[in-house]
Amino acid sequence: MSGRLSTKAGEATPSQGRGSGHKRQREPGLTQIRRAACLSRRLFIILWSRTQATEQQHPSSSVPPDTFLPASYAGQLFQPASNSGYYLHSSSDDSFDEEPPLLEELGINFDHIWQKTLTVLNPMKPADGSIMNETDLTGPILFCVALGATMLMAGKAQFGYVYGMSAIGCLVIHTLLNLMSSAGVSYGCVASVLGYCLLPMVILSSCAIFFSLQGTLGTVTALLIITWCSLSASKIFISALAMEGQQLLVAYPCALFYGLFALLTVF
Amino acid sequence: MADPHQFFDDTSSAPSRGYGGQPSHGGLGYPSPSSSHEAAFLADPMSNMAMAYGSSLAAHGKELVDKNIDRFIPVTKLKYYFAVDTVYVGKKLGLLVFPYLHQDWEVQYQQDTPVAPRFDINAPDLYIPAMAFITYILVAGLALGTQDRFSPDLLGLQASSALAWLTLEVVAILLSLYLVTVNTDLTTIDLVAFLGYKYVGMIGGVLVGLLFGKIGYYVVLGWCCVSIFVFMIRTLRLKILAQAAAEGVPVRGARNQLRMYLTMAVAAAQPLLMYWLTFHLVR
Repeated sequence: MSGRLSTKAGEATPSQGRGSGHKRQREPGLTQIRRAACLSRRLFIILWSRTQATEQQHPSSSVPPDTFLPASYAGQLFQPASNSGYYLHSSSDDSFDEEPPLLEELGINFDHIWQKTLTVLNPMKPADGSIMNETDLTGPILFCVALGATMLMAGKAQFGYVYGMSAIGCLVIHTLLNLMSSAGVSYGCVASVLGYCLLPMVILSSCAIFFSLQGTLGTVTALLIITWCSLSASKIFISALAMEGQQLLVAYPCALFYGLFALLTVF
Repeated sequence: MADPHQFFDDTSSAPSRGYGGQPSHGGLGYPSPSSSHEAAFLADPMSNMAMAYGSSLAAHGKELVDKNIDRFIPVTKLKYYFAVDTVYVGKKLGLLVFPYLHQDWEVQYQQDTPVAPRFDINAPDLYIPAMAFITYILVAGLALGTQDRFSPDLLGLQASSALAWLTLEVVAILLSLYLVTVNTDLTTIDLVAFLGYKYVGMIGGVLVGLLFGKIGYYVVLGWCCVSIFVFMIRTLRLKILAQAAAEGVPVRGARNQLRMYLTMAVAAAQPLLMYWLTFHLVR
């Protein structure tokens, strides 16, 4: 549709002022694009309000209506949506700026992720129990993907095993912690803590790219990394669940969990 | 059409949702609105109602599971077996490897309920058997890996075969106890706990076998077999045999002889299984 309009505009412009030069030709071109965007936006709003059957503000029209309309319209309707977004930004600034940034909408807070990563990387520093109050799975999933990617670079395409073992392992540790402690934990909290403490394992598997870990040095490194991971994880669990005299008991299942990953990485 | 927002927990608004938020969003089949679009979405009464219904359905489902899980898995009973601390685990492991000097094998009771394992070393627990089982699978993977026979699905194979042997053992012993018509206070979970203690010896044997070869494996496995035999006899004697016989007074009678044979059979099965499940790992 916009194509048809622009060709009509293209036919119109040569007749207007050919002699006056390029500037004249460029400005009408821009106006024609704006007019096309405006028209398509209007069409889009008509379609949208028909499905909604209520009066909507302009910003809401930037919500992709492909959730309500069949998928075959998704491609066509994306263009007017993005065009209208651009158009709105230039005309009605307040409604577009009111929308929170994408990362905030998704709940991904890079500062928090970085803070938690630093806590994990230093197992000697005592952790406070409130650190895992918000269940954040972005960091863990990032680390799982990083582990799979480094293993891929070492020649082992084992993404499925990584995800499967982490899911089953998280379930087992969640059951164990619920049975061992008086206060319960949610599955999301367990998955979050275990995922964050997976970072040293990523370091181990990136070492495996350069030299084979099957040997005394590799075994010692793997054992060291497993101890590091499980100490961090058990430290966070102990402080979050207030269990006394059980740190080693919590650290051992975590060590088994990370030992599984080390087995995958080394062999 | 999946909304990428709903895969993650929305930590900006409700921090305590945990994983409860995810099933409600996933189970709706409806895009969950982010904060900016709420005005647009929730102004539509249908989506509002659908969201409320979906989340109430998820909460109801969770409640149902929590209420009925006690029927299949006795959670409070299991919690007793996991009430352990590091000192108990250390002492128990020492007892499993060297049971010869321990004198009093009786479980202490406190107002008709057995005392938690944390306070009594003779009480059975499920932490050590569970951890020993999983460690056995890992060590088996390690052993296969050093012999270049490792692949991740072999771990699953080892796990399921070990679990099958354990189940077979438990069922066989329960069946024989039933056939002998013995009244014992040996519950199924107790039995699983006792049968799981042999994995500790198996792990020790395989690890030493990896480090020092077949000689080391046979020495350590032999030692652990004898210790677990003595441990089982002394523990089961109190549970299966009648009170009088347990105190050491020899009681004649077919019934007590049968119980004695049963205890010996269970205890003798342990070393056999220990050897059967580990000899293929050490070459």
